[in-house]
Amino acid sequence: MTELAGRFMAIPDVLSASPIFAIGLTLSAFFAGNWLFARLGKPLWMPPVVLSAVMLAAVIAVLSLDYVRYQEGALWITVLLGPATVALGIPLYQQIHHIRAMWKPIVVTLPLAATMAAVYAVVIAWAMGATPEVLASLAPKSVTAPIAIGITEQLGGSVPLMMGGLLITGVVAALFVDLLAQWLKIDDERIVGFALGLNGHAIGTARAFEISHTAGAFASLGMGLTGVFTALILPLVFRL
Amino acid sequence: MSMLRGFLILVLFFLIGEALRLVFLIPVSGGVLGMILMTLTLMLRGKVSDALASASQALISVLVLLIMPGVVGVFFMASQFSGQWLAVSAALLLGTFLSVLTTLLLMKQMVRLSARSRAND
Repeated sequence: MTELAGRFMAIPDVLSASPIFAIGLTLSAFFAGNWLFARLGKPLWMPPVVLSAVMLAAVIAVLSLDYVRYQEGALWITVLLGPATVALGIPLYQQIHHIRAMWKPIVVTLPLAATMAAVYAVVIAWAMGATPEVLASLAPKSVTAPIAIGITEQLGGSVPLMMGGLLITGVVAALFVDLLAQWLKIDDERIVGFALGLNGHAIGTARAFEISHTAGAFASLGMGLTGVFTALILPLVFRL
Repeated sequence: MSMLRGFLILVLFFLIGEALRLVFLIPVSGGVLGMILMTLTLMLRGKVSDALASASQALISVLVLLIMPGVVGVFFMASQFSGQWLAVSAALLLGTFLSVLTTLLLMKQMVRLSARSRAND
């Protein structure tokens, strides 16, 4: 009998050795998060990504799984972020006529807004006494994860702290865009989408696709351009 | 089958992007380079195949799922940054508020300006 119980207790440990366990866990949390989000009446301040992540973290902690091992298994999911980023080129192309009509505002807004997104955060943290390592982790906070990881490493920041900052930035950017667009009486989906992608990277872009295809395309554009621009400029600025 | 063919095209563009990044030491991820290449290619071809459209739609709709494993890392971060949480929170919350405000105001102003200049043409 104790043998059976022992084998039973070993289940999480044995199963978690295979990536399929991490995949099952992540997928379950994804659907559970979406379900809970719908049940809560779709609150803007508590998006599905946060709900899912909290549940997933709780399960990992309760089963006392090794986080690094989970991460290795979940690589089967995270590697898809590469082709998914490429996939954003398709709505971009489908909305190209909208983007052509807007190229002047975009060319003027992007360098300024993308620079300020980094400058505001770094200046505030610096004024409050944050260390250079923390500053380097906060600088790419509006950049999509795969690019931001590269920037943080180049600047000498901490990747986990950067990922945390990225998550919070994405969530509050989506919230602030909704609030401020209402307050400023902006109902142009192109502007809202662009602001979501520029400030809120993939989380903002996911939110923009909930609004409409056009908003999503402009978010993809904002996210892509911000990523490229920040990756090129930030290492130069940080050296000063 | 057709969706899988579209997925293959996305993977190939990603790999081309990665190759370009490694060869020319471009500080931009292979995914973004692939996205730019994809948009340019589609502009040249002038149409999107059904396979590619369905594969991209499938991936985009689960974007949140793909970033989740990375996001969970936040909860397992060592407390090596204790004492700086206030600075970090202020920078993230206030900084993002200001940058969203900047973006929206700039875009609104610029769209209005370019609409006016077009009306004058």
